[in-house]
Amino acid sequence: MSVTAVNRAALRERLSARLGVVGLIPFLLVLVVVGMTLVEPRFYGLPNLFNILRNTSFLAIIACGQMLVMIVGGMDLSVGATAALASVVAAKVMASATQAYGFDPGTAIALGVVVSLGSAAAVGALNGLCSALLRVPSLIVTLGMLSIVSGITLMMTSGMPVYGLPQGFITDFGRALWWGVPAPAYVAVAVVAAVWLVQRKTVLGTYIYAIGGNPHAAIVSGISATFYVVLTFVLCALLASVTGLLITAQMGSGQTNLGGDRLMLLSIAAAVIGGTSLRGGIGRAEIVGLSALFLSTLTNALNLLRINSKKELVVLGVVVVAAVAIDSLGRGKAAVE
Amino acid sequence: MAHIVSLVYRVLVPASPVILALAFGLYVPRVLSFENIINIIQQTAFLFVLTCAQTIVLLTRGLDLSLGPSVSMISVASALTMTAVVGSDGSNGSNGIIAALAGTASGLLIGLLVGLFNGIAVAWLRVNPFVATLASMNICLGIGTSLSDGHPVFGIPEEFNVAGYRLHVLGIPMSIIYAVAVGIALHLLLQYTVVGRSFYVLGSNPRAAIVAGWPRRRLLALAYILSALLTAVGALILTARAASGAPNLGGGLSLQTIAAAVIGGVSLTGGRGGLSSALIGSFFITILSNGMNLAEIGGYTQMLVMGAIVIFAVALDRVARMDV
Repeated sequence: MSVTAVNRAALRERLSARLGVVGLIPFLLVLVVVGMTLVEPRFYGLPNLFNILRNTSFLAIIACGQMLVMIVGGMDLSVGATAALASVVAAKVMASATQAYGFDPGTAIALGVVVSLGSAAAVGALNGLCSALLRVPSLIVTLGMLSIVSGITLMMTSGMPVYGLPQGFITDFGRALWWGVPAPAYVAVAVVAAVWLVQRKTVLGTYIYAIGGNPHAAIVSGISATFYVVLTFVLCALLASVTGLLITAQMGSGQTNLGGDRLMLLSIAAAVIGGTSLRGGIGRAEIVGLSALFLSTLTNALNLLRINSKKELVVLGVVVVAAVAIDSLGRGKAAVE
Repeated sequence: MAHIVSLVYRVLVPASPVILALAFGLYVPRVLSFENIINIIQQTAFLFVLTCAQTIVLLTRGLDLSLGPSVSMISVASALTMTAVVGSDGSNGSNGIIAALAGTASGLLIGLLVGLFNGIAVAWLRVNPFVATLASMNICLGIGTSLSDGHPVFGIPEEFNVAGYRLHVLGIPMSIIYAVAVGIALHLLLQYTVVGRSFYVLGSNPRAAIVAGWPRRRLLALAYILSALLTAVGALILTARAASGAPNLGGGLSLQTIAAAVIGGVSLTGGRGGLSSALIGSFFITILSNGMNLAEIGGYTQMLVMGAIVIFAVALDRVARMDV
């Protein structure tokens, strides 16, 4: 096969993948929005739009982390547990820093955020080391870690919410509007933009794609796969903890159980619907962000239509399978790996 | 060095449940009491049946996350069927038997449907097994909790509970008899039938299956269907034990069965494992949780230990096989 033929085939594949993924989500999103406009006026109320925006922000951040791990060919089942750990650690540190040690709120918040990010980074590093060095499938590592981290979080709190956060953290950040828009939205936009920049413009991004696309080629060309895989897991855990912190600031307390496995499931769904390949090498932050917007809008719409959270699960399941099936069938008869 | 590790490991895995039990026994003698050993064997019977179900799909390089929620869904649905057949007038003899049969049939039918969904999604729609069963997990969870609004379903006919759990034949509880029957059937299927052998090839070398011109998709779908039917069997026995349809019966069973299978030596990349791995793994997990319960280790610590042991066991497995 000549070089041009190879290039053309590659181009066609890239184009069809792009159309298949980018094309589907906006269509579905418009469908939900138009449908809701027709049946439910409350959908357009400002409180509801802010609600959607907040949930989208939480989901987009954690899903970006999940996407990065999927690009290197992994999977992180512990993101929800890590977010809960971050929430509890931050709340505990902030509460004791202000109450027991008498720090001023600003210092206490900074301290809480740093310690919380640190604890998440440790979880991510463990995940990464076990899967990269010991070559344990990340599914099993993070499954074990899910259990370990939840155990630790529950031991720290006995399952009770942690109160005593500095008021500023809640009123000026978590529940605040900055220039008329919920504060978490700014964080989410910043995170998605940053991940997009890393993916597009930096060597780190290129290496992450390379390792997922073809690990052997990456290693042969001198990339330290172990280092970058560990780094990716750390990034994923950090992003999970950012989501945990945002939810903490909104709820006003440290939560041991941020909606059970829901956050983890939604992060995987958002990444996968956003075209991230579970085989590694493919995934883009901006599309995952869009898919987070779609999922949050969909769940919001289901809530407004009084479809209870149990039936909502059924709808989510069908949507995920349909989206992925359309995507993988649309790519033509790719060879079985 | 690696050779020695591998040799030690080959002895260590089959012996691990026994070692674990002895270790707990040193600490809490009650673990090794006759009653508790019987208890452990009975407990293992349930997990074993479901781990067998999980093993079938793991062999094909797949996995089934919907196993646990489908256990709950089948439990609730079959219980509702039975209570509907028995009716509000209370059961008389023949009515109870008919109800039990109807409940069993509906349970197996729903199992078949779950298997068809997973099988079609994975084999024909080419959805990654993780995503496909993640989706069906949510679907089963949603249906299972909506059917009875999350409440347990009581009023199952006595006949069902007796046949499924309480009956003893020659002093052996029914649950163990079912588990042995499932084990034998699975072993025969995997070792002596073309279909069974093909599951191994689908996992270890999918390309070979294509090249050989096998009906790859049908075989793959069949693996998911067989697995879901076995799950239904497990769900029915568990329902008989609980004597009610329980919407939280499945809970963490998806992950527990994956952990058990992998600890027993099933490979997540397919093609390796079988009856013995399901047996060893399910004994291991049961003894671990039973031992920790008797040692009065708190629930939160148990979660921590369970997670650490799963990672450790698989890491050990990897290290031991690195030179193979």
